[in-house]
Amino acid sequence: MINILLITFGISLIYMGIANRLSTCINVLALQGVLLFGISFIELIEINTLNLIFVLFETIVFKTIIIPLFLKHVIKKNKIVRESEPFIPDFMSVGIITFIMLGSFIFANIIEVANIRKMFFIVAIAALFIGLFLIVSRKKVVTHIMGYLVIENGVFILSLSAGNKMQMLVNTGITLDLFVSVLVLGVFVNRIGNTFEEMNVDNLTNLKD
Amino acid sequence: MLFYYLIIALFIGIATLFNRNSIIRFVLLGMFLTLQTAITFYAYLHLNIEEYGYFKYDSLGVIFMFVLNLLSFTTIYHSHIYLSHRKDNSRVQSIYFAALIMLIVAMTAVYVASHVGLMWVFIELTTLSVATLIYHERTSLSLEATWKYVFVCTIGITITFIGIILLSFGIGESVAIDFSFKALQEQLLHVNESWLKISFLFMIIGFSTKMGLFPMHTAAVDAHTVAPPPISAFISTTLMNVGFVAIFRTYSIFAHTSIQPWINEVLLWSGLISIIVSAAYLLKVKHLKRMSAYSSIEHMGLTVIGLASGGIGYFAAIFHMVLHSFVKASVFYQIDQFHRNFGTYTISKTGNYFNRNRAGAIVFLLALFGVIAMPPSGLFITEFWIFKALFTSSHFLILTLALLFLSFTIYSLAKNFLFILFNQTKDMLPVQETTKVSETYSQYFLLALIFYFGIYPPYQMINLIQEAVKNLP
Amino acid sequence: MRVLGLILIIITSFFFTGIVFRTKSIFSGRKGRSIFQPMNDIWRLMRKGSVYSQTSSFIFRIAPSIYFASVIIAIMLIPFGGQKGIFSFNCDFVFFAYILAVGKFFNIVGALDTGSSFEGMGASREALYSLLAEPAFFILMGSFALLTGYTSFSDIFISIHFGSYISYAIVALAAYILIIIAMVENSRMPVDDPKTHLELTMVHEVMILDNSGFDLGLIFYATNLKFAMYGAILANLFLTPGKEWFLSIPIFVVVQILFAIIVGIIESFIARFRMNHNSQFIFALTSISLIIFLTVLLMVGKFL
Repeated sequence: MINILLITFGISLIYMGIANRLSTCINVLALQGVLLFGISFIELIEINTLNLIFVLFETIVFKTIIIPLFLKHVIKKNKIVRESEPFIPDFMSVGIITFIMLGSFIFANIIEVANIRKMFFIVAIAALFIGLFLIVSRKKVVTHIMGYLVIENGVFILSLSAGNKMQMLVNTGITLDLFVSVLVLGVFVNRIGNTFEEMNVDNLTNLKD
Repeated sequence: MLFYYLIIALFIGIATLFNRNSIIRFVLLGMFLTLQTAITFYAYLHLNIEEYGYFKYDSLGVIFMFVLNLLSFTTIYHSHIYLSHRKDNSRVQSIYFAALIMLIVAMTAVYVASHVGLMWVFIELTTLSVATLIYHERTSLSLEATWKYVFVCTIGITITFIGIILLSFGIGESVAIDFSFKALQEQLLHVNESWLKISFLFMIIGFSTKMGLFPMHTAAVDAHTVAPPPISAFISTTLMNVGFVAIFRTYSIFAHTSIQPWINEVLLWSGLISIIVSAAYLLKVKHLKRMSAYSSIEHMGLTVIGLASGGIGYFAAIFHMVLHSFVKASVFYQIDQFHRNFGTYTISKTGNYFNRNRAGAIVFLLALFGVIAMPPSGLFITEFWIFKALFTSSHFLILTLALLFLSFTIYSLAKNFLFILFNQTKDMLPVQETTKVSETYSQYFLLALIFYFGIYPPYQMINLIQEAVKNLP
Repeated sequence: MRVLGLILIIITSFFFTGIVFRTKSIFSGRKGRSIFQPMNDIWRLMRKGSVYSQTSSFIFRIAPSIYFASVIIAIMLIPFGGQKGIFSFNCDFVFFAYILAVGKFFNIVGALDTGSSFEGMGASREALYSLLAEPAFFILMGSFALLTGYTSFSDIFISIHFGSYISYAIVALAAYILIIIAMVENSRMPVDDPKTHLELTMVHEVMILDNSGFDLGLIFYATNLKFAMYGAILANLFLTPGKEWFLSIPIFVVVQILFAIIVGIIESFIARFRMNHNSQFIFALTSISLIIFLTVLLMVGKFL
């Protein structure tokens, strides 16, 4: 069952590459939150009840509800154009995302991940690099946050696959930090929206030598 | 003890945030500085004592806690001057100082954290708190810089986290892993080499956002440009120390494994490229604060080279970080006065600072000795040790290139500083504001430390540094 | 009994498009025409004579027939449950893909032969879309071959079974990919709108502007057959060998009708993409089939 959820997650990553509306991207992120909920539920149900409740709360409340709603609010408030406006054609994006998937598969085989965790590992590494790719290939500041969230989802999967080795306290700190970073980034997006006409990274090139 | 420190500091921070009265603010800041001093000396007296399994007052942390303690006095003092000259309203000042307190607390916690996950949490906390400070001037430029800084640092720290998880993958699935540095060092001995290499790369890339090393140096430079000068002083010194501490601890857990030659190579080239990049940008730099920021990157490159070349290089690297903190802090404090005098940071519009503000000009002159590592300053000695370590570990190519590009940076720094000090142009900006001589006393104090440490390094510090490096191969 | 599959596909083709149209009518609130009406239209066309442009050569005349023949040959390869197709040999799915490509090639060449710029444009688009859809089909069949260890349609479909839950996922994804490939190959909605009246936005329709009468009827009927053929492949995913014929045939018919209804639903609710969004949409199919391939690689444990 976990594998099915992971495959769906991988497909949602591809869909992220061809989604040309910001709201579609946000919906994909919410879907990923639900998928992570399913994965963590199956993975953690036997280990630790307190930890389980915490992780489930994080995936459902933060990743699926609060952050997507917050992003939608930011987009609406700043009247951001609804297209995602990549620097490179979408066709190339899909191609590159596919290559990233292939690459992470090969990578996982080269460094010999234990077989049972391979799928987790591949999807997580792919999510990391696809998130980075989304960040560098998109023009809007909001899409940068979305790329960051994809990376974060990848990190989530990776930490799930590593088993529950970090102590509870540290886990809490990490989660809160990530959440606060997203909020802080969102606040700055709002500021950028107030200061500049359009929220493109083209506006953010004044600092140079 | 650290728990009480965190709690009290949290309360002081919250009180500062909501307080609007300037006298109460002084009292609160005074309380905080007392607390900071107390925890620093407590840490020194309880060396190598672990607390709660997450913190340990080890010698490396204590050295940098002392540096932080000293600089937090001066930074709060100069921040006060800076804010009163900007005539910011009370609310803005409260936010500024509350964020500053949070930053100092987070940095203290990073220095003494003995658990890699916890260190990660506090490093991320430094990013968030320093972002508020960078954004202090509320201009579009500061918005841009803050955005870049937060974004790059957050991505970087996330990459570090991936490195940590990959490490746990490599250690194995069945074992319960202890993520404290001490335990990791033993556990890593049995890990497959490719896992080690990959997780080391991820961790270093992430931490280098804080330290300002080559692949991720841009964010730090932009942040320097727009941050208030006292905060630039912090970013350039104690925050880079945070990155250094993180990299040093990462290095020390990997140093006992079989990939040590490989990680040395990685760090050497990363440091060398940092020096090359900073030399290239220094040749064409126009903005005084950016110039100082690139100079910091060059020093970070040197430090990492010292760390990677081993032997006396370990010692020199830590010593170099300490001295660099003092000299760069005094430069940035002086830049604040400089800016009030000229109303600009652009180097070509200024000049003749020697006649306009004699006391400040001498600070620049002495700091120039420090930054370019002229003999009486302690940085000369540390740089000499670093090159000696490079020589003894027979990295001749790196040595030659580093020396070559270092001479470029020396040329650019000297040229620009001397231009500021002595250039006599006709159409100069009028003096905006004269500054008091008393404001430079703290800078002189920091500069005096550089020269004093160069000649008579206190034996306590030597002992601390030697203890910090004694476990490295 | 090998003819059974062929017969069933041909029977399905009579009402397939009719069901699609009926579904669309119901969703748009109309009563809709008889489900055999498309067949009647084709029959009407077939009784008419053809008109040929003076500039076109013999290629234009033979192209529709070759296209139709290629579809028929492709259908002969499709197995039915445990029954083999009329032809069956190793790697016959490669033959299947390329015999369809031959038909498409002649279609395109015929369109170019008329010398009309519109038809050239349509031909170029059609060629591009089939080009992009082809790797998806091959990777999909390749992963099936890897999973089962066989390389012919009938063996693959015989030995695919729902052993583990992950094979459900693979089959579901494969069904999705096959449906979309069928839509692309038949120039239906998300990629091309058969109902459009502007030549500039047409893909398949603009290619056959010059065909008339019997030729046009052949091309239309070939479309029906292709739909039924992809439906048969889909049905094969759900037909387990060893079932009696009275179970297999209803499953086959139900799958075909479901497929037709799904096509109708897709056409009713999805707007046609902008022309420049098509290529990445089709290419994403390749990516998804690549995911299937990687999953299968992980399952069978054959690594680098």
